[in-house]
Amino acid sequence: MLRLVAQRVLALVPLLLIVSVLTFSFTSLLPSDPVDLILGESGTQEQHDMLRKRMGLDQPVQVRYAAWLGKAVRGDLGTSFFSSVSVTDAVLQRLPVTLSLTAFSALIAIVVGVAAGVAAALKPQSLADRLATLGATFGQAVPNFWFGLILVAIFAVGLRWFPATGFVRFSESPSDWLRSVTLPSIALGLSASAAIARQVRSAMVGVLQQDYIRAARAQGLSRSRVILRHALTNAMVPVVAVLSFQITVLLGGALVVEQVFSINGLGTLAIGAVRQQDIPMLQGLVLVMVALVVAVQLITDIIYGLLNPKARPS
Amino acid sequence: MLIVAFAATVLGVLFLLAVLADWVSPYDPLQQDLMSALQWPSSAHWLGTDDLGRDVLSRLIYGCRIAVIATAEATAIALVIGVPIGLFIGYRGGWWDWIVMRVVEALVSIPGIMVAIVIIAILGPGLHRAMIALGILFSTSFLRLTRGVVLAEREEVYVRSARVVGASETRILLRHIFPNIAPPLIVQTTLTVGAVLLAEAGLSFIGLGIQPPQASWGTMLNTAAAFMDLNWFLAIPPGVAIILTVLSVNLLGDVLRDSIGRGIAAAAPPPASAPRVAPLLARAPSDSPQSSRSDEMLRIEALDIVIAMPGATEIPVITDVSLAIAKGETLGLVGESGSGKTLTGLAILGLLGPVLRMTHGSIRLNGRAIHDLDQKALEAVRGSEVAMVFQDPTTSLNPAFTVGSQIAEVLRIKNGLSAEDARRRTVQLIDRVGIPRAAERAQAYPHELSGGMAQRIAIARALSCNPSLLIADEPTTALDVTVQQEILDLFRDLQDEFGMAMMFVTHDLAVAADVCNRIAVMYAGEVVETAEVDALFADPRHPYTRGLLSALPQGSSRNPPLPIIPGSVPRPGTWPTGCRFQNRCDRRVEACEARIPLVGAERMVRCVHYQNARLKAVLS
Repeated sequence: MLRLVAQRVLALVPLLLIVSVLTFSFTSLLPSDPVDLILGESGTQEQHDMLRKRMGLDQPVQVRYAAWLGKAVRGDLGTSFFSSVSVTDAVLQRLPVTLSLTAFSALIAIVVGVAAGVAAALKPQSLADRLATLGATFGQAVPNFWFGLILVAIFAVGLRWFPATGFVRFSESPSDWLRSVTLPSIALGLSASAAIARQVRSAMVGVLQQDYIRAARAQGLSRSRVILRHALTNAMVPVVAVLSFQITVLLGGALVVEQVFSINGLGTLAIGAVRQQDIPMLQGLVLVMVALVVAVQLITDIIYGLLNPKARPS
Repeated sequence: MLIVAFAATVLGVLFLLAVLADWVSPYDPLQQDLMSALQWPSSAHWLGTDDLGRDVLSRLIYGCRIAVIATAEATAIALVIGVPIGLFIGYRGGWWDWIVMRVVEALVSIPGIMVAIVIIAILGPGLHRAMIALGILFSTSFLRLTRGVVLAEREEVYVRSARVVGASETRILLRHIFPNIAPPLIVQTTLTVGAVLLAEAGLSFIGLGIQPPQASWGTMLNTAAAFMDLNWFLAIPPGVAIILTVLSVNLLGDVLRDSIGRGIAAAAPPPASAPRVAPLLARAPSDSPQSSRSDEMLRIEALDIVIAMPGATEIPVITDVSLAIAKGETLGLVGESGSGKTLTGLAILGLLGPVLRMTHGSIRLNGRAIHDLDQKALEAVRGSEVAMVFQDPTTSLNPAFTVGSQIAEVLRIKNGLSAEDARRRTVQLIDRVGIPRAAERAQAYPHELSGGMAQRIAIARALSCNPSLLIADEPTTALDVTVQQEILDLFRDLQDEFGMAMMFVTHDLAVAADVCNRIAVMYAGEVVETAEVDALFADPRHPYTRGLLSALPQGSSRNPPLPIIPGSVPRPGTWPTGCRFQNRCDRRVEACEARIPLVGAERMVRCVHYQNARLKAVLS
């Protein structure tokens, strides 16, 4: 297992490097000159030149990249053009918000998706199966932010069970955190749970026809034990293989859903950075997100290896 | 079909509204009227008005136009970028391929919306720019798809042979790639259209896509979000429009994928269902009584099993099967595939599955009826009193768990052993079935073992609870010939040691002769002959048994070629009335058309010719 982790971590270094080159070169394509943006029409030519020099913009692009990368490796992602706060600080401050939203919605999506998929697979063509399939088809067509609006209208404005907006950190109050994160997570997790339900169903239908399921039943193990232990463990293998993709989608979706609930996470930061063309902020955001995705991939790879002995390096 | 009609209607209406927006929308979508802002639906404004008093219905209709333009634009850009690059790198390979694929991997590992956000940061917001961003984003899937098809085609025989004869590889590739790439591209396009619609709505919602005052479904939802507490209805029309459109596109995509995926095979009609046979009328008590023996372990009496599909006539698959196995005895159940041997075994365990149903007869184990036990009682019988070893050991062990844990699990659950005791007993069992270094092998996963080794594990598991009956379903068929004999020897040894009764299912009379005391020959869901092994080999009575025996090699290479029984076992539902073997039998007479009972005591046979002999004996 350690070897698997080491292998994966090593394979990720080039990926991160390529992403950093990409984001750096993309963002240096920005049409506007950041110095003009900051100083505006005012400011003398001298002031412009001075700022340009201070920001290192007089250097050729590869020198700037090397300097940026050198700092990034040490955790310094530069300084925002506009608020003069450290990008690392700004991102790290919002990260727990988006992260807890993504993680909680992933949990909901997995629990709902697996339960619905298994229920559907146990009796193909039954009412439960038809309902689950219909629900999954619908779930994948509903925009997460619209579902969020509807949830707010019903459960926050109408029933007043949950707050309509805002986010409470887990460290401040776990119960308030749960209340603040429930509606956004449900909104965000809907389409992922639909996708997972479809995958679980088809994998489970296949696994339930396998000889080893019949053999386990012939050995007198109970139906629930055979389904939950023997069948589900195998059915989750293909599901886990694409789970990191689903979580990547959730992370992206969180940026939008945050806006519905006025949650001050990475999404708000990103939208602000686009409007202001805040290059260091965008670079930092992309890099942090890729690091997150990569971490998720690593975790799902490990789970995949645990579920599927054939995938382990021997 | 209903689905396709629904999806086509929705998309048709969408297109019509997009084209005819200028004529059908009741108001100018940009016309403000602050006096009548945020109105609920009324006869003047069917879907109400928004915060600036603009007519929601009109904005919705113009939103159709934006949706069509946006998806067409983004999808076209994705195709135009993705397909040529995919063709190029797939064809060129080498560094080009390596670099482009690393970039694609990097792009794919960033959440899609973030990629779009960065591109929009460079290009600026707005309908066309946002669609360029989405086009670039979604081009990666087309690129990978095209590259995959090219790489697959390159290895095709006709391309390689063209290379050998010196023909232009490029031209051949191009000629063959397009027909192969079109179907997956069409499917991918429908998937992309749905995703683009959702992404466009999302971008417009966060204000980075289509810019106000232009009416798009996403911007309408942006407005709605700000006034949720005053007029929640504002969120409904654009939301429903998005859902219906995406749903329709996805449904069409599913249908396309299914039909393309199944390809030409699907074009042929499904195989006609087996001809219906009249349902068996309530049959008189079994016409083939078996004499009861005192030391019986298993007794099956007049067993009937049918295929019971909802809405179809029941098709019999097992009729009037009666068998008995004594303590310490091995009964061979012999016949070609499709004769119902395995089903008989599964019926004993109550594992027939949802489609098959036992409609008649009884199964007794140690004198106790087990065919009508409830689920819980059956589970207690399985494993502890009856266990089964299956044909293919590599598929009958769970690939996710170590083989030792699969045996230990049974010991813990069924026998209530502690984890430590179960582990110790597991190693003993693995050792007993002849696997060296048992403690170490217990830690192995099924895929790490050879077939013979895996079958020994399966046998060890079946024996773990000391069952009184072991059903072995073709346990050596999937194994190498050299291993077969070892496993057969193991079965014989184990039976001596454990003293259980055994039901040995096989299609191979020679194997049956090796391990069995008695043999029951099955044909088309019936037992046609039972006898002691020696008697059966010395004097086979049923023509089918004789056919099976004469098909056995006699050990000498100078023998004439083996005769075979012409034809094959008829499928359930196509069985002739009367003797089911009559169509393949060389001794067929008119009387074969009538139903024939299984007669005899020590030896039983179901054949009209012995029927007559017995009748004559009775009459004389």
